Amino acid sequence: MLGSFFNIDGGYLEGLCRGFKCGILKQADYLNLVQCETLEDLKLHLQGTDYGNFLANEPSPLAVSVIDDKLREKLVIEFQHMRNHAVEPLSTFLDFITYSYMIDNIILLITGTLHQRPISELIPKCHPLGSFEQMEAIHVAATPAELYNAVLVDTPLAPFFVDCISEQDLDEMNIEIIRNTLYKAYLEAFFAFCKDLGGTTAESMCEILAFEADRRAIIITINSFGTELTKDDRVKLYPKVGKLYPDGLAALARADDYEQVKAVAEYYAEYRALFEGAGNNPGEKTLEDKFFEHEVRFNIVTLPTTVF
Amino acid sequence: MSLFRSEDMALCQLFLQSEAAYSCVSELGELGLLQFRDLNPDVNAFQRKFVNEVRRCDEMERKLRYLEKEIRKDGIPMLDTGENPEAPQPREMIDLEATFEKLENELREVNQNAEALKRNYLELTELKHILRKTQVFFDEQEGGSSATESMTRALIPDDSIARQAAGPVQLGFVAGVILRERIPPFERMLWRACRGNVFLRQAEIETPLEDPATSDQVHKSVFIIFFQGDQLKSRVKKICEGFRATLYPCPEAPSDRREMAMGVMTRIEDLNTVLNQTQDHRHRVLAAAAKNITNWFIKVRKIKAIYHTLNLFNLDVTQKCLIAECWVPTEDLEQIQLALRRGTERSGSSVPPILNRMDTLENPPTYNKTNKFTSGFQHLVDAYGVASYREANPAPYTIITFPFLFAVMFGDLGHGILMASFAAYLVIKERTLGAKKIQSDVWNIFFGGRYIILLMGLFSMYTGMMYNDVFSKSLNIFGSNWRNNYDESTLMNSKALQLDPNSTAYFKYPYPFGLDPIWQVAENKIIFLNSYKMKISIIFGVFHMLFGVLLSLWNHVYFRDRLAIMCEFIPQIIFMCFLFLYMVLLMFIKWVNYSADTIDVKAGPYCAPSILITFINMVLFKSSKNPDVCDDWMYAGQGFLQKLLVVIALLCVPVMLLAKPIMIMRARKQHQPVLNIFLSPKLKSLIII
Repeated sequence: MLGSFFNIDGGYLEGLCRGFKCGILKQADYLNLVQCETLEDLKLHLQGTDYGNFLANEPSPLAVSVIDDKLREKLVIEFQHMRNHAVEPLSTFLDFITYSYMIDNIILLITGTLHQRPISELIPKCHPLGSFEQMEAIHVAATPAELYNAVLVDTPLAPFFVDCISEQDLDEMNIEIIRNTLYKAYLEAFFAFCKDLGGTTAESMCEILAFEADRRAIIITINSFGTELTKDDRVKLYPKVGKLYPDGLAALARADDYEQVKAVAEYYAEYRALFEGAGNNPGEKTLEDKFFEHEVRFNIVTLPTTVF
Repeated sequence: MSLFRSEDMALCQLFLQSEAAYSCVSELGELGLLQFRDLNPDVNAFQRKFVNEVRRCDEMERKLRYLEKEIRKDGIPMLDTGENPEAPQPREMIDLEATFEKLENELREVNQNAEALKRNYLELTELKHILRKTQVFFDEQEGGSSATESMTRALIPDDSIARQAAGPVQLGFVAGVILRERIPPFERMLWRACRGNVFLRQAEIETPLEDPATSDQVHKSVFIIFFQGDQLKSRVKKICEGFRATLYPCPEAPSDRREMAMGVMTRIEDLNTVLNQTQDHRHRVLAAAAKNITNWFIKVRKIKAIYHTLNLFNLDVTQKCLIAECWVPTEDLEQIQLALRRGTERSGSSVPPILNRMDTLENPPTYNKTNKFTSGFQHLVDAYGVASYREANPAPYTIITFPFLFAVMFGDLGHGILMASFAAYLVIKERTLGAKKIQSDVWNIFFGGRYIILLMGLFSMYTGMMYNDVFSKSLNIFGSNWRNNYDESTLMNSKALQLDPNSTAYFKYPYPFGLDPIWQVAENKIIFLNSYKMKISIIFGVFHMLFGVLLSLWNHVYFRDRLAIMCEFIPQIIFMCFLFLYMVLLMFIKWVNYSADTIDVKAGPYCAPSILITFINMVLFKSSKNPDVCDDWMYAGQGFLQKLLVVIALLCVPVMLLAKPIMIMRARKQHQPVLNIFLSPKLKSLIII
């Protein structure tokens, strides 16, 4: 019954999305790209794919940064097009996707300001999907409270910032804590939103977000060994929407080294598989790589069945 | 005979000497008669032999596009003489590259200078506006600060005298210009970051200013911020930087300001002259380029096409020549030889190219030569499916049948006139309209099908006259052949009367052309007309389908496919004729034998059998039941004949489906798999007609 109304709001965008999906480069394309010897060859081969003539107006010789910028520009244009055509609840969903880029941009700008970089140098480095109006005025703030009051209170990230407000000055350590606290609030909000929507969205997205939450919990734990981050602070950074909540998170909070983290992961079948064979030696995949592969597998599964 | 069948094609091998290859391909390209095959299918695009030349063409095209963009920005018209220049030789390509490079560099330099000048100009203009607008702000600040006074008076009643004596507090200020749309968030940020301790005044700049980078017109506003203390100053400055507001030094004293304003005015005037000169120079450069740019585009595209074609060739390393395989219409082999000879002469090579005809078992491509009239119909037919090689081409028949069948359905003289005149306009103006190269898809559909629409309109006019329909009204040209034979009182007292064709109401001969206009006022017009239209539609349809089946016979005879004639054509014809042609015959019999103006009841409208019911009963083997007064059948022996026809037609069905496959299977008992026998490509021509 719901399917008969889907096309009114979502038909065009779904068709567009499927078209984009078919345009993703395939294994054959990558085999060809591997045989390229110069960047010009790359450009020539990409002309035959869905990317088309995106580099047509760039003067030769090409630079890697130019290709990078143009690829990103193409992605941003397509995303903005979809966002402009979306109505609720798809528009909120797409906005949620941009929040993670916004968080990265904010942290980038604050770190840059700390290192005395001029704002004009930092702005081009920000990801265009996560840009917002007040972005350029971030360097005004010296403490998180100021940051919130002056800059973030008007942005959609304001509700995520509630846990971070403190009067301490922004320094290296705090910035990471702010990043992770923001991300935790964002993940939990996104998870609640998807769960509210129900249906296929809830099924696919909650899987992905749960995995993201667990991955962050594990990475935070591993990275915090040997730093000043106390166990209590660490607990505050764990997102509560993953499979590890509540027992796994409690166990992670008590962990002291890599082996104990691995022991916690043993209780969960998928995560145990990821820890096996992971290591920092050359030739082995690192834990990060394995997490990334696992995440990609989730995303592939959602593609043919997604009906928003 | 290419109109009725696709062209006879031959697979040829072409041996070209490397030096002569370019010119020969250029000449062949102008002819447009060959289809080259890719002899390097598994080579990547960037590993082909002439990939560097293709890259150089891409570069040239990029430069041309840049030039075109600049020309369009200035609004200079690009001359399109419609001439078709030939592809230049490789030596000239270097000259072209050099010209484009020079033009591009010159243009970039001019643009850079112009941008710098415009930036300067913008700064001076903004400064001028600031100096003008801030006058108001400072007046308020100096003239006793009535605003601040009234504010402080109520709050500090005791020390008011002492405060007043000290004069207004010393406020520092910064002045600048910002984009109008950024002012609300700017104000908000200022308020929040400085905790409300700064005072912002702003005024809009009425005239839009030109942004130097994008040449857009933007609206800006002047603002001035008053604050106290250095900390606030640095904070305010940071915020201004963040919102990309430009700050200008503005002197406090009014006399200084007036001096500065005058200095700024003179500098603006000087800059204006320099800017105008730069723009003139740029305009001249672009106008010179605009004369040739369409020609250049065509030349570069031709060079690129030639190199793409050369990339399909195989390089025979031992003999220093290129080998190509192509499909050629056999009729035009002479022309191609001439073109090759021209190409070799032009390149100054001594070795003549060799065009070698090859025998092959492959299925050649279908090539239909069309002119501007037939090409629309050919495309229409090809959209349903391209005919196999040397099959009968359905397009020439489509020229008449398609518009005619459309007209049978459309059938209105008035609308037909509109349609035909629209299409006639397109056809008469086709040269000018075609040269415009309009990008709209919808327009191209109508323009490309202008001949089809013209014919559809003309035929619709004819059928409109037959149906006597002009915008749903009838024309009474010859005078109706019915007249009213009731007297006044009957007319006044009855709601509906029927005119009896047997009486004086009907003139005993029909209206000369088309439908009698009396039907326009008849209540049973639709019922009458429907029956007529259905019958003629079936008659036209049956004859159309029979024609299609006869065309398939022509195909079978041409391909000498006796099996198809016996097992496909004969049962198809029998099936169609015995069932549907018989039904058409019944219609004609009914039209001849039964009439409304006879005295005999058996031949009158009461007894006239319904063809539809008769046909259904025939196929279902039911017997016709007519009312007692009438005959059961239309002619003697009808019952038996009908049963016979249906039985024979039904017997044809398994023959059509199974006879040919079984025969082929028997003939190839040991060899191929069974599956591909059941699909015959020759049935396609039947379906298209």
